[in-house]
Amino acid sequence: MKKNIEITNTIRTLRFFANEMTQQQLAEKTGVSRQTIIAVEAGKYSPSLELAFRIADAFGVQIGEVFGYETKGENK
Amino acid sequence: MSYQEKKILTNMLSGIVVLVAYYIYAFGRYRNGLEDANDLKFWAGTMLLFIGIGVVASIIIMIIFHILYAIAIAVKQRNYDDKEINHTIEASMVEDEMDTLIGLKSSRIGFIFAGIGFVAALVSLMLGQPPFVMLNLLFFSFSIGSLAEGGFSIYYYRKGL
Repeated sequence: MKKNIEITNTIRTLRFFANEMTQQQLAEKTGVSRQTIIAVEAGKYSPSLELAFRIADAFGVQIGEVFGYETKGENK
Repeated sequence: MSYQEKKILTNMLSGIVVLVAYYIYAFGRYRNGLEDANDLKFWAGTMLLFIGIGVVASIIIMIIFHILYAIAIAVKQRNYDDKEINHTIEASMVEDEMDTLIGLKSSRIGFIFAGIGFVAALVSLMLGQPPFVMLNLLFFSFSIGSLAEGGFSIYYYRKGL
């Protein structure tokens, strides 16, 4: 049986503590479009490991401080 | 609405215009008795012509779209200098991993539509329909597949992956 997991992130909080960094600024730092940052922040898109590391690097934190997960029931 | 969504919508609109123009032209000639339904050379020639028109129209429309898009940004940011305007335009046109993934997922759906159309075209032949029906079913299903690809791309941009 496989557990359903939902990827969570703290990008909004990290942006706030990074002097209210805009989504556009984060997008430019990570080399993606603002739309992708919006989607990642809203949990609508799970980024590749590479992008996840780049986002963490943009904030100068470990990847685990940006991304986490929640278990959502079980799936057969 | 993002740059990618606007670009896809523009492409879809040009596709719809070419498809409608094809059906008006080809079936107009057929209905007026100018062409024989079984003249496959006419149908093939017309389809090739409209595929060519579609490619050229798509290129021209994309050029116009990019010019209008740049103008719209320049008007919105008229208080900024040229460097910042160029920067905004370039930043909004970035293509990344999400665009690639959405493109792959939606093109798979487009191929499903085209595949269903191909099977429907073969079935039409089996049911004794004339070959021009099969040709038009093929043309229609590829066009619908392309539109579905665009539609699903927008859906994925909105809903997420």
